[in-house]
Amino acid sequence: MIVVTGASRGLGKAICDRLLSKGVAVFGLARNVESLSFPSMACDVSSYEDIKAVVKKLKADGAKVSGLVNAAGIASMNLAVTTPPQVSQNIIHTNLLGTIYCCQLFVPFMLKNHSGSIINFSSIAVALGLKGESIYAASKAGVEGFTRSFAREVASFNVTVNCIAPGPIDTSILKGVTAAQIQNIVSQQIIPRQFTPDAVSDLVELLLNARSRSLSGEVLHVGGA
Amino acid sequence: MSTNNRAQLIVFKAIEALLEDKSLSVSDDLSLLGAESALGSMQLVELCLALEDHAAELGFDFDWTTETALSRSRSMFRTAGSLALEFSRQQDEKK
Repeated sequence: MIVVTGASRGLGKAICDRLLSKGVAVFGLARNVESLSFPSMACDVSSYEDIKAVVKKLKADGAKVSGLVNAAGIASMNLAVTTPPQVSQNIIHTNLLGTIYCCQLFVPFMLKNHSGSIINFSSIAVALGLKGESIYAASKAGVEGFTRSFAREVASFNVTVNCIAPGPIDTSILKGVTAAQIQNIVSQQIIPRQFTPDAVSDLVELLLNARSRSLSGEVLHVGGA
Repeated sequence: MSTNNRAQLIVFKAIEALLEDKSLSVSDDLSLLGAESALGSMQLVELCLALEDHAAELGFDFDWTTETALSRSRSMFRTAGSLALEFSRQQDEKK
């Protein structure tokens, strides 16, 4: 079973749809799971206790978790000087601590089986140092650093940990970002075009596949950076 | 055998199985954390996973992700004895 966070919308939903279409057992986590037609549970990833409750349920059900996709994330396009502290805290709690908590609490399933893949999500905002995304970029830079160190910690258990860093993918997270702003970011990618959620799902499939066992601690930039 | 004694036996045996230095004997005050630790950090993880399995056999869920488990000063991983006590406490709690 693959656990996917942020499963109700955006990249998380696209990833769930792709995995389900390939016959993979998916367990989705999101704050609101009413719209999901596959096994799921409501969970705020910034809450350690919420995630523990999910782990407890999966253990009670005898679930075998072989992969984790940490797709839950929030963004707020603001200059750092005009970002209210509560917004900064929300971004760090969801994007960085949410990823850390999920890794901490789901990895024992994989350690036990001596096999597993964890996929975290960063952003091109880290590599490009995008203006107006400093708090968001800080949270994602944290995810990249965590990914590299955590990958070393679990490598001896045959668990891989990698990061996908997309550019501006066409999902709800881009709400409020103008076409000109998107074009400006895309033009700085090595492949200067906007990619779709499908391109990200391709990478997720690759990283979950046994043939990618030689990759760990890596940050894969969609479109190149 | 009391829960305490059974827990101690299980925990000590699980530690013993992971000790690289087989001349060490497991006792209450055997350190499991810090520079004095008898186990490496990854062996500590393996110990937790082994105790999870033992707990499942005994019909309870051994939770090593609590704040008490992870906080250095109050950690149940301080010594073999403190870990055995916590294992026993969690078993009693589930009764």
